[in-house]
Amino acid sequence: MDIAITGIGVGCGAGHGKPAFRHALFDAPDLFGVLRREGRESPADTPPFLGVEMPDPPDILPPRQARTASFSARAALSSLAEVWDQAGLDAVAPERIGLIVGGTNLMAREQALALRAYSDRLVYVPPRHGHMFLDTDICGLCTAAFAIRGFARTVGAASASGAVAIISATEALRAGAVDACIVIGAMQDPGAHDLQALRAMGAMGAPHFADSPGRACRPMDRDHDGFLYGEACAALVLQRSGDVDDGAILGRLLGAGQVADGTRGPEPCSAAQVQAAERALAEAGLTAADIDYVSGHATGTPAGDATEIETYRSLGLGHARINATKSITGHPLSAAGVVEVAAVLMQMAEGRLHPTRNLETPLDPDFGWVGPGGATHAINHALKFSFGFGGISTALIIGAP
Amino acid sequence: MDSERIFGLLVAQIRDTVPDLETHPIARGDVLADLGVDSMERSEIILAALEEIGLKVPMVDLHGPRNIGELADLLAAKSGG
Repeated sequence: MDIAITGIGVGCGAGHGKPAFRHALFDAPDLFGVLRREGRESPADTPPFLGVEMPDPPDILPPRQARTASFSARAALSSLAEVWDQAGLDAVAPERIGLIVGGTNLMAREQALALRAYSDRLVYVPPRHGHMFLDTDICGLCTAAFAIRGFARTVGAASASGAVAIISATEALRAGAVDACIVIGAMQDPGAHDLQALRAMGAMGAPHFADSPGRACRPMDRDHDGFLYGEACAALVLQRSGDVDDGAILGRLLGAGQVADGTRGPEPCSAAQVQAAERALAEAGLTAADIDYVSGHATGTPAGDATEIETYRSLGLGHARINATKSITGHPLSAAGVVEVAAVLMQMAEGRLHPTRNLETPLDPDFGWVGPGGATHAINHALKFSFGFGGISTALIIGAP
Repeated sequence: MDSERIFGLLVAQIRDTVPDLETHPIARGDVLADLGVDSMERSEIILAALEEIGLKVPMVDLHGPRNIGELADLLAAKSGG
């Protein structure tokens, strides 16, 4: 039984809603700069953190709720409002609608700010912080604002959280738990502590391009030196294909695979990536030869990119076109999987592939990279990779409607 | 701090916490629940007022008052004012 995707909602550095995302994808403007949101200041005498920050989300909540809603929650609600209308969820019984929010520690920056603000007056910590520090606060705000009464939960899988949330939704639909499942790749909101740790670990760039942020994010390019964080959020609506009109289907989830590498840290594992792809292909009843487009995890870290190319080689994906959405959006961590599936679907609809910014000298020229110019291409079967720290490797197969 | 000033502080906190009440008249005899203030908002309002007064009182000690005026009287008594 395949699963249909019937709604896309998205927010990124270019703005909120599909038109802004379409502009980001196909015009590939430079969205990168110094991170300026409060609580993201780099340590004294070190270069500022670089990345992408999004404009304020539109107001979906009444002021009474909005005043204590986290930035991540407000971004989630904007994407949710967008999918709700597109998928026509007013017509689905509330108890047959589920919600899965992908991501953990989503509001770390705001928690760090609160910790700072109340450090010398702990006794006056607002009582509401007792539920706001939990990621499920986003579930609470979403279900209070929209008629979702089936189930609501969060799932975590580091930077593969979005992809794993999608996998969890397909499982809920196949089990018959609900008739429509909303998946939100929630905006990860890291503060300086998290960003500095990612920099110290060597995962986050970009020492070589500190003075030219627009050139710093270079997935799969020989001059890559780490990923750059980017604020983004996306939502999808998944339904069983048999339950919806063909005309409402934006794409089909044909197969998925998730493998535990057996590692704790950030180190990637090509064998696990290959196995995840093979499981997804087997479930879809396809082989690597059927894949004509790969949406890479492709963050721009030297170890990650090299390992992923090894995976492409092992799978025999030399014929497929490949691009890296993070070259445009930055790396949205928890949200990446959902944001990038949204990108796959929009490229399917447009019959073209978005550019990979800064891909000037590909690490391995023998693959079908989509460079800075973009490409015309009708996607039939897309392979989407998402990987996360803690040894999480996932692959999704998405078919054209 | 006297009860009248504390009542003013409480009203300001109520309007901040529940923007729907921004222009709604609020009197000493009003009951928070009747104004549509939920229990979490009640805690937020009281804690914020406690901080402004400079009082450190466990929330459980503030459950007796039947309306906002009585709450202001109780806080005034606890603040020695």
